[in-house]
Amino acid sequence: MSDAPLIALRGVNKTFSRGKERLEVLNDLDLDIPKGSFEALMGPSGSGKTTLLNLIAGLDRPTKGSVEVGGKDIAKLGDSELSRWRSQNIGFIFQHFNLIPVLTALENVELPLLLTNLASAERKKRATTALRVVGLEDRMGHRPNQLSGGQEQRVGIARAIVHDPTIVVADEPTGELDRQSADEILGLLDKLNKDFDKTILMVTHDPAAAERASIIRKLDKGQLV
Amino acid sequence: MNLGTLAVKNIRRNQLRTALTVVGVAVAILSFVLLRTVLDAWNTGAEHAAQDRLATWHKVTFVMPLPKRYFEEVRQVQGVKKATFLNWFGAKHPTRDREFFANMAVDPDTFFDVYDDMVVPPAQLTAWKQDRQGAIIGSSLAKQFGWKVGDEVTLTGTIYPGEWKFRISGVYTAARRSVDQAQFLFHWDYMNESLPPGRKDQIGWIASTIEDVSRGGTVGTAIDKAFDEREIQTQTMSERALNSQFIGAASAILTALDVVSIVILVIMMLILGNTIAMGVRERTREYGVLLALGFRPGHIVGFVIGESVTVGLLGGLVGLGLSYPIVQQSMGRWLEENMGSWFPYFRIPATVAAGAVAIAVLLGLFAALIPAWRASKLDAVEALRRLG
Repeated sequence: MSDAPLIALRGVNKTFSRGKERLEVLNDLDLDIPKGSFEALMGPSGSGKTTLLNLIAGLDRPTKGSVEVGGKDIAKLGDSELSRWRSQNIGFIFQHFNLIPVLTALENVELPLLLTNLASAERKKRATTALRVVGLEDRMGHRPNQLSGGQEQRVGIARAIVHDPTIVVADEPTGELDRQSADEILGLLDKLNKDFDKTILMVTHDPAAAERASIIRKLDKGQLV
Repeated sequence: MNLGTLAVKNIRRNQLRTALTVVGVAVAILSFVLLRTVLDAWNTGAEHAAQDRLATWHKVTFVMPLPKRYFEEVRQVQGVKKATFLNWFGAKHPTRDREFFANMAVDPDTFFDVYDDMVVPPAQLTAWKQDRQGAIIGSSLAKQFGWKVGDEVTLTGTIYPGEWKFRISGVYTAARRSVDQAQFLFHWDYMNESLPPGRKDQIGWIASTIEDVSRGGTVGTAIDKAFDEREIQTQTMSERALNSQFIGAASAILTALDVVSIVILVIMMLILGNTIAMGVRERTREYGVLLALGFRPGHIVGFVIGESVTVGLLGGLVGLGLSYPIVQQSMGRWLEENMGSWFPYFRIPATVAAGAVAIAVLLGLFAALIPAWRASKLDAVEALRRLG
């Protein structure tokens, strides 16, 4: 870990409008996340965990404040630039896996690489390697409906790392899984962090999952506590 | 895998829905091809009619006859190359009287000189000229009734009552699309000699070819002028103008067919658009995932349009594939054999075939515009929150 934070949020506010009603989800939030850390974000529903994750992942923009990742204020990027930045720097792991049902495991993993200039054979090779990392090289030709929940999430993890992003964000990655599968997934996240030096941010309600992280942060009413 | 693969794989997601949509587009394209082919076949008569052939008939109406002597005088008009005369006979098959075909009493010495787009083998033509009861029939008519050279045939007269016996001397084929291949032609003398004195030596109309195509109007006027001071005046018109006039009279029907073909396509486009919109709604969350992974709204638009255009193209190809056996092979043959006077050449034109596929693709494109636009406006965070 280096001393300079990989992710630095300063004075971040996020407000949503519903008609005339304004809902302040994040309130003057400052946060530093060093490179190579594995952090868990916890807090009650509506505390702003997922919103914070979305801001760091460049899926959303703050109403006020700055979100610097690797020294770049991503809130100031245009839509296309932000899309490109996400495709190069962020790996997403979703609670509901969100695999494309018509694609095989290999094709699902290959998806982020379609945005690169890599040749087809190289894309396939990298996708195969990613599936090997998560232990699913023998399920490459299977569609999501032919996989268990745990296997689907492992494909989701392979998709998150196939393009070698700096940061992996995981929103309730074990929320849909039984304990054993959840432990396998958390073990994989640990491996990504330790063996592949990925910075991992994980939103979770599960204290057992949070304990696998090196840092646990708690959010309440839009502020870190 | 590439971006196109994803669009194509989406098509197989709901196979029943896709199949029904493809069938729907195919039916619309089949209807379009049928209607356009009818229009084309209808116009073929005018487009391919001989430009150098004039028809001269009674000025009051073509139903009234001309004196036969007019024929010799038309031949003498300057600019006329060859001439012949003929009578509409209007007889029917004695047992299959609902099956219409044109039958005419013609002058065997001159008829095929003027109608040189009807081709008869020389030996059969010679045999016909020598047989007073001989008849030359079109190839479609021969097929329709199973007649062949040498057969004895009886027709029942309507305008000229009685049972008329003929011998098939030959079969002609067409050298031009506008030629009705279901005609029955026999010796004018055979008819004339059987008529009572008051009806003898009258002809239905005179057909003539001219030396200079560009002078058709002048020659026609000269023919009519020759009979201006007679008890019976004439009206002369080129074969093409005559056919165009006939088509003009049916313009309301043709316009209606045009409108129907467009309405069918518009309805199909709305149905296809609805199907694509349903697919987009169902896949909102997946589009959210793609946006999160770094795909841009333009990619999502490409997926939606690609899927719709592929369905349109598939429907177009299936529709066109069905058109050939249904429209051209079955319907076309039947029309040429049984309604050859109206549809002498009923085939799917290459422009209609190519146009049908192009329209199917455009149908897919336009049907996808609104769903694609809506998909492009999706917010990744909102889309990821959607269920299912």
